[in-house]
Amino acid sequence: MEAMKTKTVSEIHDEVPAVKPKMNSTWLRNLTPFFGFIAIVAVFSILTGGKIIRPENLSLMLSQVYVLMISSTGVFMVMTVGGLDFSQGSILGLASIVFCWVSHYNIILGVIAATLAGAAMGAFNGLFHVKFKIASFIVTICTMYFFRGLCKYITTNGPVPASMEVVALNQTWFKVLLTAIVLVVCFFVFHCTRVGYDLRAIGAGETAARFSGCRPDLTKFLVYTMSGALTGFASFINVIQVGSITGTAGTQLETKILIALVLGGMPISGGARARFSNIIIGTLTYCVLEKSLPMVFPVSATQQLVKGIIFLIVVALTIDHKSLRVIK
Amino acid sequence: MGEILLRSENLNKHFGITHAVKDVSLEFAKGEIHGLIGENGSGKSTFCSMLCGIYPISSGRFILEGKELKVRTQVEGNHCGISIIVQEMGTLPGLTVAENIFLGEEERFMHGLIKNTRAMNKEAQALLNEYGFGHINASSMIEHYSFEDRKLVEIVKATYFNPKIVVVDETTTALSQSGREELFTVMNRIKNDGNTVIFISHDLGEVLENTDRVSVLRDGELVGTVKSNAVSADDLKRMMVGRELNSRYYRTDYDKTISDEVVLSVEGVTVPGQIENISFQLHRGEILGIGGLSECGMHEVGKAVFGASFDRRGSVTLKGGHAVKSISQAIRHGVAYASKDRDNESVVVADSIRDNICLPSLNGLSDRGILNNQKLGRFAQTNADLMSIKMTDIGQYVADLSGGNKQKVVLARWLGKDSGILVLDSPTRGIDVKVKADIYALMSDLKKQGKSIIMISEELQELLGMSDRILIMKDGKINGEFMRDPKLGEKDLIATMV
Repeated sequence: MEAMKTKTVSEIHDEVPAVKPKMNSTWLRNLTPFFGFIAIVAVFSILTGGKIIRPENLSLMLSQVYVLMISSTGVFMVMTVGGLDFSQGSILGLASIVFCWVSHYNIILGVIAATLAGAAMGAFNGLFHVKFKIASFIVTICTMYFFRGLCKYITTNGPVPASMEVVALNQTWFKVLLTAIVLVVCFFVFHCTRVGYDLRAIGAGETAARFSGCRPDLTKFLVYTMSGALTGFASFINVIQVGSITGTAGTQLETKILIALVLGGMPISGGARARFSNIIIGTLTYCVLEKSLPMVFPVSATQQLVKGIIFLIVVALTIDHKSLRVIK
Repeated sequence: MGEILLRSENLNKHFGITHAVKDVSLEFAKGEIHGLIGENGSGKSTFCSMLCGIYPISSGRFILEGKELKVRTQVEGNHCGISIIVQEMGTLPGLTVAENIFLGEEERFMHGLIKNTRAMNKEAQALLNEYGFGHINASSMIEHYSFEDRKLVEIVKATYFNPKIVVVDETTTALSQSGREELFTVMNRIKNDGNTVIFISHDLGEVLENTDRVSVLRDGELVGTVKSNAVSADDLKRMMVGRELNSRYYRTDYDKTISDEVVLSVEGVTVPGQIENISFQLHRGEILGIGGLSECGMHEVGKAVFGASFDRRGSVTLKGGHAVKSISQAIRHGVAYASKDRDNESVVVADSIRDNICLPSLNGLSDRGILNNQKLGRFAQTNADLMSIKMTDIGQYVADLSGGNKQKVVLARWLGKDSGILVLDSPTRGIDVKVKADIYALMSDLKKQGKSIIMISEELQELLGMSDRILIMKDGKINGEFMRDPKLGEKDLIATMV
């Protein structure tokens, strides 16, 4: 019984493990996507003999960026909160049709209608995810088919044309301006209001966030609605570029967004490590890849193969193994 | 005491920042049944898991019959003569009884690539009969048998090869009286064969009755080893619980005056299945302790006051008539909550210290909805410094901090919010003595500032040492109320707890 002993305060105090510095690795991880972008531009400039950085190619490349960047911004927020959204392509298709219809009356009204239609579809996703507690990727895969079905049904008798006037709006400066406005507004909302804090905290740990005063259900619902609205808005740019909408408009957009965000360094599980720069670097990297591959590899099968390999390499280099959890 | 069979020398085990086993040196004699007891988390299961090769050893070593024991897996452990009967289910469903018994030893029955199932079943059945478990059929699937029968199969599996050391890890909880008798017979047979049994159990009577010696662990440290026939269950209890803290860490004043001002009143609060019709009032500058057995519902009371309970009935009203129905309302009106489940409910571990400190205060820090990030940084830094959190900078993730520092982050965020009512559930759970003392000092300070604290705790000393008033709960109801008094002792509280 005499063996009973208690440690003195100082002894136990000394046992507290020292905090290990981790700054360097975090810094490196934040910068990897940026270096990736530079590397990919450099490699393909050499492989194409400088063709891809010629002005005509750059403007072609840019024409791909607008819709992808705007939609990615919405999905970025969805992913930050820990969700996924696979229905973006179908939302783009359906919202584009809405815009085409309304554009015959008034173009501005058309933009509003398309944004609202997108928001409604996003809200539908959010409602099912939050209210019925279905995993977001399941809900959005279902609605991807559902919205696509509607799209195809509406276009059974041929493509839906927009008002002839919209084509005049297909100006690079105009599209750049719209995209920039969306990015600046979203950047402000993400960094200078409590939205960004809520999204990151909920994505990092929902229960703890709830106990800190966040409202996860409401926030998630709103973020899906917001994501739908952004893609609805992007459908305006989509239509002024193509003029009329077929049943397959916007197909594969969701995959492009996902790849772009991951290339930009976005953690798949969301949370506190999400950075707004992920959107910009990611979409630019994706568009460079998308445009350069056909120049270097004329056969489409090879393009897919190389795209797959590059994607894998980038993900393997940038992914944060520590924060990798089961997707919600 | 006979010849030493197994010895551990300065054994240590760390799980991340948790030091689960600290410098344990123990000796086990040949032909002895050696009890190993301690509270939950005292390190007894971890100790045995290292012995059996389930966990790698952090530092120190085991010496079996004069040679250092190096096992990396349970099968290697078996080959060195060490086996374990675990706390949880140790048999694999989808296999027959015989396949379970000879798991990892199938090679004995292999002829080339073909398994001689018949020989295996026959040998297994012979073993079962020998142990007196003849009612179990070796060729049947294991899931056809009850939990208890499966435990019996495990006993056969762990002992048939005549191991030198058998660890019985809280196996008796799964067994009825007759099953226990069977187990004790097997244990005695092992002992009589000159081998050693390490017996882990929470039932002290059972331990004293069936062992030769008992070793007690507390917080990963060896408290001592005693002869079973020389001590009583009460002696063992005292060794297990010990006195963690000196009374000087607690408040020393016994001033009984409490303000008449009621800051929070809880009326008829019921959470189905958890708490029933709870009513009490909290005064300004009062530390109200709530205690009881772990499952008495006291933790739910904290959640209910914070508006975090699911399906709560009754009312929680703050001074000024504000009702608390949701977490956001509670936070808005200055109620703070530190959960017992720190990592899941108190802090967002996968986020920075800065964000964690700022989260509850975001509305107050914003100017018409717009946040100034530099201001947030200063706010976080100020409050982190106030609590002297050990960190590299406020951008560090909470996951990298020790338990005590995590709790400091929790307190820092609520101090920053300037909460008037703090609900602290198990505020010093798993926290080292230094930080504990800091937290007690902080609580006294807050009391002096006129803030009110509800402290929910499983530690009686803490309740007695810090509270102005103690409520003891039992089966979801309040079962006793005590005012602060130097004469009040643990026994008084325990009497109303059980």
